[in-house]
Amino acid sequence: MESCYERSAIDRILVSVVDNDGSVRESLPDLLTQFGFAARAFSSAEEFLASDCVDQTRCLLLDVAMPGMTGPDLQQELIRRRQGIPIIFITADRDMIIRQRLIEQGAVECLFKPFSDMALLEAVNSALHPK
Amino acid sequence: MVNSAKSHDVPVDSSVPTASLESILCTEELQRRPSRRPDYEKENQALVKLASALADSPTTIFRTLAETIQDITQCDSAGLSLLTRDGKTPHVDGKRFYWPAIAGMWNPHVGGGTPRHFGPCGDVLDQNRTLLFTHFERRYPYLMPVNPAAEECLLVPFYVDGQAVGTIWGIMHSDRRKFDAEDDRIMASLGKFASSAYQALAHIEELKIQVAEREKAEAEVRQLARGLEAKVRRLIDANVVGIVMWNLEGEITGANEAFLRMVQHDREDLASGRVRWTDLTPPEWRGHGEQAVADLKATGMFQPFEKEYFRKDGSRVPVLLGGALFEESGNEGVAFVLDLSEKKRAESALRRSEAFLAEGQRLGQIGSFSWRVATDEITWSAELYRIYELEIGAPVTLEVIRSRVHPEDVSLIEKMKMVGQEREGGRDFEWQYRLLMPDHSIKYMHAVAHATRDQDGQLEYIASVQDVTARRLAEEARDKARSELAHVARVMTLGTLTASIAHELNQPLSGIITNASTCMRMLANDPPDVDGARETARRTIRDGNRASEVITRLRALFCKKDATTESVNLNDAALEVIALSLADLQKNGVVLRPELADDLPLVTGDRVQLQQVILNLVLNASDAMSGVDDRPRQLVIRTEREDDRARLTVQDVGVGIEPSGVDKVFEPFYTTKSGGMGIGLSVSRSIIERHHGRLWATLNDGPGAAFSFSIPRTPEGLARADGIRNIQAPAVASPGAA
Repeated sequence: MESCYERSAIDRILVSVVDNDGSVRESLPDLLTQFGFAARAFSSAEEFLASDCVDQTRCLLLDVAMPGMTGPDLQQELIRRRQGIPIIFITADRDMIIRQRLIEQGAVECLFKPFSDMALLEAVNSALHPK
Repeated sequence: MVNSAKSHDVPVDSSVPTASLESILCTEELQRRPSRRPDYEKENQALVKLASALADSPTTIFRTLAETIQDITQCDSAGLSLLTRDGKTPHVDGKRFYWPAIAGMWNPHVGGGTPRHFGPCGDVLDQNRTLLFTHFERRYPYLMPVNPAAEECLLVPFYVDGQAVGTIWGIMHSDRRKFDAEDDRIMASLGKFASSAYQALAHIEELKIQVAEREKAEAEVRQLARGLEAKVRRLIDANVVGIVMWNLEGEITGANEAFLRMVQHDREDLASGRVRWTDLTPPEWRGHGEQAVADLKATGMFQPFEKEYFRKDGSRVPVLLGGALFEESGNEGVAFVLDLSEKKRAESALRRSEAFLAEGQRLGQIGSFSWRVATDEITWSAELYRIYELEIGAPVTLEVIRSRVHPEDVSLIEKMKMVGQEREGGRDFEWQYRLLMPDHSIKYMHAVAHATRDQDGQLEYIASVQDVTARRLAEEARDKARSELAHVARVMTLGTLTASIAHELNQPLSGIITNASTCMRMLANDPPDVDGARETARRTIRDGNRASEVITRLRALFCKKDATTESVNLNDAALEVIALSLADLQKNGVVLRPELADDLPLVTGDRVQLQQVILNLVLNASDAMSGVDDRPRQLVIRTEREDDRARLTVQDVGVGIEPSGVDKVFEPFYTTKSGGMGIGLSVSRSIIERHHGRLWATLNDGPGAAFSFSIPRTPEGLARADGIRNIQAPAVASPGAA
C-alpha cells in the first residue's frame, strides 16, 4: 500500500474511509478519486489509528457500527488526540436520534446508506470548507 | 350188591337162551288161589297213614308207600317203578324204569331199574294189566344178579291222566306165601294211591320250580328296584336341579337340597306343612300355577315355564319349572326346578352392555358394521345409519354405500374390498374417506376393520367407523390459527430486525449506487476510463444479485407459508440465521461464538420454522444482554448430537431467568420486554413440539441463561403399527404429517 507521504500535497486532498464493510471499501475510494480526492480505506478504526495516514487525512468517512472500536469510539479518540479531523459518519441504520447525537458530538454529517454521489460530495465539501 | 340193573340195556344176546314171557307169567293163579279175607281196617289205617304222609312229608311218600305195600301184603320186598326218560326224570315216554323206593330185602337195590321194552314193568305197561311173574330172571338175565331172586312178583300199573307211568310191586323171595286175588285188589287200590302220590309229587316239583322261578324273578325285580332307587336317589341328591314332590292339594311332600337352597327353606319348614306351593309363589305368578294344575289334570304333565318364587327372606328367585304326575289321574307328582338367577344376571348384564355400546356409539359418533366377505352380507349399527343419514334398518348394499361416499373416494371402497377378499385370511386395516351428503356437505370418516372368523369359519370383518368431521375441521382451524400466530410472531420479529434487514439490503444497494455513480464519472472523463468503468459495472451487477438473494431469503423467511417438510441441517440453518442477525448483534455489541458439531444428524421438518425458532432465541439472548457492561456480551450458539436427536443451544450471559420462571417463559403473552408481545417463545415451543422435539430453558452456573431445543432424527408418527394398512384419502394437509 502506498504510504500517504508519497502523495503530492498540492494534487489531492486525502479522504480516509473507515468501514468494516468490504463493498464500501471497494467502491467509495473510486468515487472519491473521481471527485478528485485521494482516498484510502481501512477495515477498522484500529487499523486507521495504526496507520501513518492519520495526520494526512483531511476528511474521514466513518462507519458507525463496527466490531471492536466503533465509529463514535474513534471520534472520541481523535478528539482526545486533538486530531481535528472532520468526520462524516456513514451508516445503514436510519436512526435520526443517533444521527442527531453524532452531529452534536462534532460530526459534520451522518449519511444513511445508500446515499447518492452528490450527497457524498456535498458532505465532503462541507467538511473541507466549514462555513 | 350194586345195581346191576344199572348196566342198562343189556343187549339180548340171542345166543343165550331166555325164557319166553308166558313161561314166567302165572297171573291167572291169582284168581285160582284161595284168597285171604280182606282186612279193611288195616287197609283203611294204611291209607290214612299214607294220606297224612303225603300231606306231611311228600318227598318221602314213595318210601312210605313201598313200606305200606310190604306191610299190607306181607311180602318180602315191595317197591315202585317209575317210567323215566333218563333214569331220573319221570316221563311217560321214558325208556327206563327206575326204582325210587324199595322196602324189604331188595332195599339195597333202590335207584336201580329196568328197561322199558325188556323187563317185567315194561310187560305190565305193554299189557296194561296186573301181571304175576315167577323167576323173571329166567327171561331177563340182567335181573340175575339182583338178589335174592324173586320167587313171585306181583306188578300193578298205575296211571296219571290215563297214561301208565309206572308200577308198584311186591316180591316173595320164597315159597312162604303166594300172592292171591286179595293182594291184587289191595295193590290196585294202592296203585290208585300211587297215582295220586305221583301227581302230587309232580306238582310239588313243578311248584318248586315255579317257586324257584318266582323267587328268582322277585330277586331280579328287587335288584332292579334297588338299582332304580339308587338312580333316583342319585338324581335327587345330585342337586343338579331342584326336585320337589307335591300333591294336587298344594302340599309339598318332599324336596332335595337344591330346591331348599333355592328358596332358603329348611326341611323343617316343609315337613311341618308350613310351606305350600301358594306360599312360595308371588301373586302375579299364581295364574301360571293354576294353568299348570289344569294341564296336569288333563295330560298328566305341564310344560316348562318361567316364574318366580319367594325366598324365605322375601326376596325372589327366577326359576324354570316343569313337572308331571306320578300316575295319570293320580294326586301326587314331581316337579323339576331350575334356578335362573345366573341366566337373568347374564341377560341383564348383556342388555346393559348393549345399551352402553349403543350409547357409546352415539356419544362418540362411532358406527360399526360387519361384512361377511363370502356373501357380501353387510350389517350396520344404528349409529352408522345415522351418520350416513339413511333410514335405520334399511338393507345395506355396496350400491347404497357408494351413493354416499364422496366420488373421489369411491375407489377406496374397491381397494377395501380387494384387501378384504385376499384369501390369506384377511388382516386388520384402516382407512379414511369422505362422505358427500345430499345437502353437499362433506363428512370425514375414519374406519378401522378387524378380520375375524365367524362360527362357520367364514371370513368376516368387524369395523368401527368414526365421524371425524368435527375433529378434522377443528384441526384445520387450529392449524390455521397456528399459522396465523406464527406469522404474527414472524412479523414481530421482522420489526425487530430492521437493522439487520436494512443492513442486509443496504449494503448491496449502497454498492450499486456508489459504483454506478463512479462508473458514469469514469465514462465522462477525457479520455474515458473504460477499464475503471467496466470494473464498477461488474461490481454493480454483483451487488444487484446479492440484493436479490437477500430479498429472496428474507421473503422466504417472512412470508406466510404453509409448513413444508424436508431434511434440515441445523448447522446450516443456524449459520443463515447468524448471517441475518449479525448487524443487529453487532449493534448490540454482542460477540457471537458458534460451536457447531460436525456429526450433527439431519432432522426432518420445516426449515423456515426452525430458523424462526433459532432467530427468536438469538434475538432474545441479545436482548437479555443489552444491559450488560461488566463482561463481554458473549452469545454461544451450540449444536450437538444427542443419541438420535440433534440439539441446538443458545446461551447468553445476560440477566437470566427466575428459577421459577424456567417454564413460565414459554407461556403465551409472558414477556419482560416493554413493548414486547411475548409470543415468540410460546410459538417457538409449539413449533418444536410439532417437530416432536422439546424446547426448554436452563440457568447458567454464572450469569445468564441457555435455551435449548432437541429434535429427533426421525419424527414419530411416520412409524406404522404392524398389520395395519393405511389407505389414505386426499385429506387437508396437516403440518408435520407424513
